[in-house]
Amino acid sequence: MLQIKYIAIILPDTLQYVGLQNLLVNYFPPVEISHYPTFEASISSNCDTFDYYITNATLFVLNADFFLPRRNKTIVLLNSLEGEKNNSFPSNHISINSPQETIIEQLKQFFVKENGYTSTDSNNKELTLREIEVLQLIVKGSTNKEIADKLYISLNTVQTHRKNITTKLGIKTVSGLTFYAIMNGIISGEDIEL
Amino acid sequence: MPLVYANMQMSEVVEEHTSLIPVINRFGIHLGLGDKSVQEICDKYQLDCDFFLTVINTFLNEEYFPEKKLQTFHTSQIIDYLTKTNQFYLRDQLPNIERHLQLFIKQSLPGNNSLSLIGKFFLSFKEELNDRIQKDQEEWFPYCLSLSEKLKSIQQIKILDKKQINIHIESEDTIEALLADLKSIMIKHLSGDYNENLCYAVIFALNSLEKDIKQHNRIRYRILTPIVRAMEELCS
Repeated sequence: MLQIKYIAIILPDTLQYVGLQNLLVNYFPPVEISHYPTFEASISSNCDTFDYYITNATLFVLNADFFLPRRNKTIVLLNSLEGEKNNSFPSNHISINSPQETIIEQLKQFFVKENGYTSTDSNNKELTLREIEVLQLIVKGSTNKEIADKLYISLNTVQTHRKNITTKLGIKTVSGLTFYAIMNGIISGEDIEL
Repeated sequence: MPLVYANMQMSEVVEEHTSLIPVINRFGIHLGLGDKSVQEICDKYQLDCDFFLTVINTFLNEEYFPEKKLQTFHTSQIIDYLTKTNQFYLRDQLPNIERHLQLFIKQSLPGNNSLSLIGKFFLSFKEELNDRIQKDQEEWFPYCLSLSEKLKSIQQIKILDKKQINIHIESEDTIEALLADLKSIMIKHLSGDYNENLCYAVIFALNSLEKDIKQHNRIRYRILTPIVRAMEELCS
């Protein structure tokens, strides 16, 4: 599941804002975008709730106090003249004169780097031994209470295990879990009725 | 997605969205639409154009769901539509999936046990859906109709005006959940050799059933259920 990205666009130029909004909504959903024509307007509205900021070079420099600590979450728009001297600008700088394809690519790089679609090793999809035990009991038709009693754990813990199992496997129903358990030899077909 | 309007040419709408074909069939409309507008077609088939358009538009747009408007339609109209979707599941979509699935299992065997398990899982889903449809036809729909018959003298719109309709969305619909799991199991957990073409056919058929059932459930839980609750309160 992708998380909603809350983005503040701080740009005086309406067309730039509308264009960016279009790209973000079409290519990087889900996003929620707030637009502020001036930096002052953005400050007055509780600015730290945003995941990302998009602004131009002038505003960035003028409000460096705010943006510098947040520079990893900020995209700065440049027009190509400013960027020409240096072909390899930092990845969070986007030239407004670039072709659309390039801009999309740059936005993609930025969000991948920053947001980290949770990488697979930090979020292990394998079930733990405990989860397997819980799964075995679920597919045998045990209630949460029975599972808790059998494994000497609290009802809350059982629920947490169930939630984790569902998230890891992407399967919600008991029938689905049963199927998974048989397929993967967690339980043998004779143990339960399908 | 832009909404469909009464003055649009029906054939153009359907060409753009072929997934509407089973939906218009449900209303009794057959292909061979010619150049007629949506309004003309509705007149020809004696359909309430407003209702027809609302159903089509909610079918096409996941975000579009005009609750207030849908609740102004007559209970019998809504039940009639839900009944037709149920029949469509029984007569067309379930057999479709089953046909593909049987072929898929047969062509991919021997030796792939996971597929026959998928077959079994589908059967348990089918049973669940059959049960629900049977209950609809035998108990729930007749009950809803009898309520609305009782209140015939009072205009339905007024009923709904008086009662603050409390929308209670069923947090989890078993049918939808089973269907989602079936799809996700095939996509995430399939193993061994299998026939790719038939596998896609099965997933495609599951997907179109899932889409239809989601739409059915939206009407069921967010329109019919609240109307029935309001009628129950008035009758008691």
